[in-house]
Amino acid sequence: MFKRTLSLLLILMAVFTMGLAAEGQTDGAGGNPQYPKGVLDFVAPGGAGGGWDLTIRTTAKVLKDTGLVKVPMPVRNNPGAGGSVNLASLQEKEGSDKIVCVYSSPLILTKLNGTTDLGYEDVTPLARLIADYAVFVVAAGSEYKTMNDVMDALKSDIKSVKIGGISSVGSMDHIQFLMMAKAAGIKDLNQIDYVSFDDSATAQVLGGHIDVYSTGLSEVLGLIESGDLRALAQTADHRVGEGVVADIPTCVEQGINATFVNWRGLFGAPGMPEYAVTYWRETLAKLVETPEWEQARITNGWDDAYQDAPEFAEFLAQVNQEYTEILTDIGMIK
Amino acid sequence: MDTLAFLLDGFMVALTPMNLMWVSIGGLLGTIIGMLPGLGPATGVAVLLPLTFSMGPTAALITMGGVYYGAMYGGSRASILINTPGDGAAVAATFDGYPMTKQGRAESALAISAIASFIGGIFATFCMVAIAIPVARFALRFGPAEYFMLFLFALSATASMTEGNRLRGFIATILGLMIATIGIDGQSGVSRFTMGILELQSGIDFLIVIIAVYALGEVFKSFKNIDSGQATVQKSFGKIWISREEWKRSVWPILRSAPLGFFVGALPGAGGTMASLMSYNNEKQLSKHSEEFGDGAIEGLAAPESANNAASVGAMIPMLTLGIPGSGTTAVMMGALLLLGLQPGPMLFQQQPLIVWGLIASMFIGNIILAVMNIPLAGLLVRVLSVPPKILYPIVLGLSFVGAYAISYSVMDFFLLIGFGLLGYFMSRSKFPSTPMILAVIVGNNMEQSFRRAYKISDGSLGIFFASPICLILFSLTVISILYPLVKAGIAKRKTAEA
Repeated sequence: MFKRTLSLLLILMAVFTMGLAAEGQTDGAGGNPQYPKGVLDFVAPGGAGGGWDLTIRTTAKVLKDTGLVKVPMPVRNNPGAGGSVNLASLQEKEGSDKIVCVYSSPLILTKLNGTTDLGYEDVTPLARLIADYAVFVVAAGSEYKTMNDVMDALKSDIKSVKIGGISSVGSMDHIQFLMMAKAAGIKDLNQIDYVSFDDSATAQVLGGHIDVYSTGLSEVLGLIESGDLRALAQTADHRVGEGVVADIPTCVEQGINATFVNWRGLFGAPGMPEYAVTYWRETLAKLVETPEWEQARITNGWDDAYQDAPEFAEFLAQVNQEYTEILTDIGMIK
Repeated sequence: MDTLAFLLDGFMVALTPMNLMWVSIGGLLGTIIGMLPGLGPATGVAVLLPLTFSMGPTAALITMGGVYYGAMYGGSRASILINTPGDGAAVAATFDGYPMTKQGRAESALAISAIASFIGGIFATFCMVAIAIPVARFALRFGPAEYFMLFLFALSATASMTEGNRLRGFIATILGLMIATIGIDGQSGVSRFTMGILELQSGIDFLIVIIAVYALGEVFKSFKNIDSGQATVQKSFGKIWISREEWKRSVWPILRSAPLGFFVGALPGAGGTMASLMSYNNEKQLSKHSEEFGDGAIEGLAAPESANNAASVGAMIPMLTLGIPGSGTTAVMMGALLLLGLQPGPMLFQQQPLIVWGLIASMFIGNIILAVMNIPLAGLLVRVLSVPPKILYPIVLGLSFVGAYAISYSVMDFFLLIGFGLLGYFMSRSKFPSTPMILAVIVGNNMEQSFRRAYKISDGSLGIFFASPICLILFSLTVISILYPLVKAGIAKRKTAEA
């Protein structure tokens, strides 16, 4: 009995001292003009090799190569539940000036579809950096030549076109298609069959198992270039990229008046100190002007979508509104 | 002829001293990483990512390739010696590998594992050179219905694993399927059995269950008599090689498993784990010594070892020809390619032939280097068995926790690890076989999701599961695989009755 009490005491003491140490750190950094100092903590809320991982690693690399940030920026992966696991751990690091992480549309969707109670209000936006857009592809031999072909087929028989995507029902790949379908005048959105796959549905659309693959451009770029897949439309408000990518028409051009932007931006922990926010706003504004950054964007097929923190925050609120409407339409929000 | 010319060019690239060094370093690193529980090739490649930034794309790919096959070689070392598979693809190596060690045949087990891995890897690389494109095209014919039948076939292996203990085996299988349902259901977006725990949303990683049941289960089992010194310690060690008789028994299983592994590996989403389990089941059914399987049959180790290495080569096919990740590891490698400014996909062969063929050539070289490296390495590793359990088991325990943490950096996994470890212990105490449960955890979620995808695509008609020849063949194999052990048992019974 005594042993147990003792070990409990020891654990409590250890936790307490750790808490104190963390406290001390924040105090020490308070109002420090020498920011950034020490080692920063860059976080990808998804696994290695994914889109978030690629974005934050590229950002860190360019920041280092251009000499904009001189302290080390090791990248850490904290995957789980569409980024929600990292969102939860960020709450424990409230007020930290070390953490910089990347998020994109799922930051908003995971809260709306009930995965987590935390959302974009629970992090500190620093800047929106890049965007890629949704693209809808079919196999080269498909009967669908334009986005309107798909919409017409859906209008005459809502079950006749099977849409595939990587994320689960109610998340990005699903929503981006529904936004277009809604704009095209399709009423019973919740009747559209969306099939969710795990890692990639590319093989499934190539093999003719699904009709349309709703995805991001980078996912299928190689196969569009080789002609194995045909891109029906992308969701920017303008043509993007060069070569075959620039040939992909927008939905707006085809009379479907809607856009979908998969933005990616950087965020700090909730309550990030003012000096740190200012530093990152200034640094990232410089970053997007460098030729190195432009080169990295072109290589990865990312569109420039820079927005400073205040406008970014407004943008987030507006996107939140749009997604809420769609999810209400398909009955996922009651 | 073109292919040959390209391959020769590839060898010129791969045989430069720098690239030879990288493939050796990658292989060694991979072997070490693969041996640690929970750390598989995907983690190995991910850890290496930052390092590859400073290399050229060719060197980066070759190094990552080296880590990949290295981890496939290393993965089974721990399965054989301490019943702790390094990753999913090494699970099947515990079935007969660990019993062999217990019988004092660890040297043969380690040797055949390296030999089978080598043959599987080399065979698959030849296949890759010759038929990569047709195989990639054929793999596209696998839709959700075909995948469902494939997973069903894999699960049917539980029938032969539970001979003599059917009811308990069946219960264990169901338990595994239940565990596999935890997490967000992709087809409806609904969280299932997560009890409000955020970390459970993405489901329970089967590696956690594997490490828990095998490694922790093994440690818990030996807790009782760890002080009494009853656990056997091997003191003297023979040469790491196999006898003529053992070679004779293994050679056909190895050669049969290599093409199977290669093909299953080339299917995006199937991978080395499925390949090794399927080949194990096949050999068990085909073997004249099937009663020895699970009790130290050398072909029961040789077959999955050959299959999983062949699968790791096969998994490169969808990545290189179509730009589709064929496995978790190739997904990370694709991310690395993008970071290096290369676009994986059908154009890669045309735009960057030297890089691709350099990688393929390095597969030949890497497999040879690894085979040469692994035999002496095994001679060192086998001495782990002379460590008394009192010291060895705490180390295993520590490694298990580190490995579990490395899977998703989540503290939650520690609790799962302990929970499933206890489950494994009590299952073995009450004579419930744990392997059917593991198998069900591995295929359960994929099987269910494939079924639901197919069902959605066919507008709710079951006909889709019998619509294609691939489905029908896989279904027939499943039926045979379930009935065969029953029929065999029936015949054996009649024979004894007559005698």
